[in-house]
Amino acid sequence: MRPENPSQSDHDEDLPTDCSETAPERRGGAIGPRGARIGAFALALVGVLLLARGVAASNAAVGLSEASREGLAIPRWLYVATGGAAIGASALLAGFVTDRGFVNRVHEWRRDFGTRERLRGVGMAVGSLLGALLIALIVYRGVTGPQVSTINFAVVVVFAGGRAGLTMAAYAIGNPWPALNPFRAVTSRVPTGVVDYPERLGRWPAVAGILLLIWVETTTGVTSKPSLLAAAVAGYAVVALAGAVLVGSDAWFRNADPVSAFFRFYGRVAPLAWEDGRLRLSLPAMRLVEDWAEESRRDGGDGQTVVDADDTRLVSGLDDVAIAVALVWELTFSGFVTTEQGASVIRAVVGVGLPPILVYAVLFVGGFAVFYGAFLGAARVAVRRILTTRTPRELVVAFAPSLLVIAAGYHLAHYFAFFLSLLPSLSAVLADPLSAPANPVVFTLPAWVSALNIVFVLGGHLVAIWVAHSTAYRLFPSRLQAIRSQYPFVFVMIGYTAVSLWLISLPATTPAFLG
Amino acid sequence: MSDHTSAAPAGSADTRDAPEYVCDVCGRAFYTDDLLVLHRGVRHPSVLDEAERDAYRDAYAAEERAIRSFRIRALGILVLLYFGFLFLYVFYAS
Repeated sequence: MRPENPSQSDHDEDLPTDCSETAPERRGGAIGPRGARIGAFALALVGVLLLARGVAASNAAVGLSEASREGLAIPRWLYVATGGAAIGASALLAGFVTDRGFVNRVHEWRRDFGTRERLRGVGMAVGSLLGALLIALIVYRGVTGPQVSTINFAVVVVFAGGRAGLTMAAYAIGNPWPALNPFRAVTSRVPTGVVDYPERLGRWPAVAGILLLIWVETTTGVTSKPSLLAAAVAGYAVVALAGAVLVGSDAWFRNADPVSAFFRFYGRVAPLAWEDGRLRLSLPAMRLVEDWAEESRRDGGDGQTVVDADDTRLVSGLDDVAIAVALVWELTFSGFVTTEQGASVIRAVVGVGLPPILVYAVLFVGGFAVFYGAFLGAARVAVRRILTTRTPRELVVAFAPSLLVIAAGYHLAHYFAFFLSLLPSLSAVLADPLSAPANPVVFTLPAWVSALNIVFVLGGHLVAIWVAHSTAYRLFPSRLQAIRSQYPFVFVMIGYTAVSLWLISLPATTPAFLG
Repeated sequence: MSDHTSAAPAGSADTRDAPEYVCDVCGRAFYTDDLLVLHRGVRHPSVLDEAERDAYRDAYAAEERAIRSFRIRALGILVLLYFGFLFLYVFYAS
């Protein structure tokens, strides 16, 4: 893949201008980029294979799920430590890849499928009709259908279909929500925009909305009471329509709507996307390495970066960083409170005399704040350790997209087996929405499927290391700076991997005092 | 913009003076000469003159040496990790 005899004219602007780049690699016998990636993958695979049995990951939809209990044949601390070491080792191995040209080729590779206007038009029309129909059916069947969650259209479609399946489609294939969103389809055709969206709010309303939706999912009974779910969906619909009419459809769905933000952020991990009106395929997660690092600064300013009007970046401010952190944190939180150990911790704290809802609220918001603070703290430490004029804010904005592939890995770990086992129920209710399935079928999965959870968690972290490595190369002129800048983030990620692996190995239960 | 080179590898957190080396194409400031040279070579290769290109090559080569030293240390840590965990598994998982 490397040019044999690089000449001046062959290069894009990020390649070194001479061929001494390639020669020392071979002379010194250093590991090339492919060898480094194979080494990292082999290490992770060894870590996974050394676990004798799988683990079952819990998730928030306890109204529907029954996690299996599997034991570990090695001590839990060793399993957790192996995961952490796999991440650390992969980060070190990523430091072996120092060819800027190679790194750029990986995340800039695109396969163009053209404008596909008719496909897009038809897809949007069909999608919004489908979305409207589904929302209507969810509300209707939630109220009139059988009030048993496992056979109710609303609960199965929202949690198995939407929370699990549609999200997986969003980060594995492409963001489906702009096509499915019926509220956007409706409000973009009517006059909207009574007031202007206040720009300084940014996307903080979406952060609050995502946290609120997760809170509703975890602490109210929407996963087990279909009528409550129908009320929640109807409430969301009203808020979305009212908000879009109030501040304008574009402004609402770009800035304040939590579901759109959720799918847009996850969708950035996916390989397929519409860029500049053209359908393009990229390598998975490689669109997370953003172009922002090439903008220019006004000198004499207050350190603020100048942002283009048609900015296509996903993350451009601390509010977007908060969304990325929230997406990772919510999986850990719901993973924690639905385990036995988590429930006993909650019970212990409540036993001291605090109301359960307060304990959950403190854990939820407090944990989010801790993780957000740790991420910012890592950026501050990184800026202090390397000699750079980049601010911690710039670093944290640049590295936040790599959190999304971690979130995708965690989401797969927590929801993949859940989705698979409920697939027959989902297809049964979708095939016949207006009557309850008489005998709902649930797949029982073989034990090795749960071992995949570890692969997903570790895989998400490994790809995130590569994304962060590529981003660091865009940020800094010196490659050593780029490598050194990663250390504090890698330490935070090792800690987070350890916590997540520990969580997915715990047996699941219903959360204490809820549901 | 400079046409002399220094051999010190970039990236160590020394005493912080004001960043004096400013790129005249995009306005970014850097703490050392090396960083500015590398920046211009990576981001604005088309505006470099011959002397600057030589400076960029020298800075890049100096960077390669520092990276090689990093690689050796990283390899050492990886070997330690590998054998450490191997023995842990031998002890605890058999």
